[in-house]
Amino acid sequence: MRKPIHLAAPRPTPEEWAKHFPISKASEKALQALVDEFTAMHSNREDETVSSIEPEKRRKRASAA
Amino acid sequence: MPPLPDPNGVFLNIPYDEEFRSLYIAYIVGLCQLDLVPHLASEIPGGDRRLSKIIKLIQSCRYSIHDLSRVEVSVAATAVPRFNMPLELGMTITWQNLHPSRHSWFVWESEPYRIQRSASDLNGTDANIHNGTPEGVLRELSSAFWRDRMPSVPQMLTVYGLAESALNSIFVRNGTRNPYDRSVFMELCRLSSSLTTFFFSPTKPAV
Repeated sequence: MRKPIHLAAPRPTPEEWAKHFPISKASEKALQALVDEFTAMHSNREDETVSSIEPEKRRKRASAA
Repeated sequence: MPPLPDPNGVFLNIPYDEEFRSLYIAYIVGLCQLDLVPHLASEIPGGDRRLSKIIKLIQSCRYSIHDLSRVEVSVAATAVPRFNMPLELGMTITWQNLHPSRHSWFVWESEPYRIQRSASDLNGTDANIHNGTPEGVLRELSSAFWRDRMPSVPQMLTVYGLAESALNSIFVRNGTRNPYDRSVFMELCRLSSSLTTFFFSPTKPAV
């Protein structure tokens, strides 16, 4: 099995990504909307899990803490 | 002598066909998630001869991935083997042999031991086997490269899902149905690269 290559070079900055892959302002805006939706959905996942717990269990957890 | 390669650059030597589409998206997403910059021959505007463009791209990238999983004889009556991917791999091996510190190459396949049948001269080369699935591509990318902070395969898969679902709107915006078009490739890379640090950084992702 080949040994994995350690990537030690600095990560590209957002400006470098934009330089590598130039797209129109309209495309940037459309992609940003998708990214915002994605991040909102995945950032709230933990909250959603907590809010879906039955109220009784939530109360018990809170009093135990 | 060409300039030093981009230390994060990866030349993707892949087939440009419909059946390969999901793996193509997985390569883009996985590489961007590792903060590696994918490059395709199709991204360079016309002018030079195609082969010259490909040689320049190989030389400008620190790494290359050669996916030989679709090197096969087509089913058409005028069946011919697909030689482009092995040809580009051959050019890369020559370049790497001349300048070992400038380039590292990987061979990817869908099945174990298939490479021994299709290109026996590569015996002794450890191929990365992706099993023909996007998850397999992401898994193998995570095995081939590592960074101090990098997303897990399931996290990469969620970004893959986003890129896959965005493809139709990207097609509409760019007036094409070809995922390998330069404009579509650019948008897929920008979308995937905007989420590179999402899973471990509090910074708001921006395209």
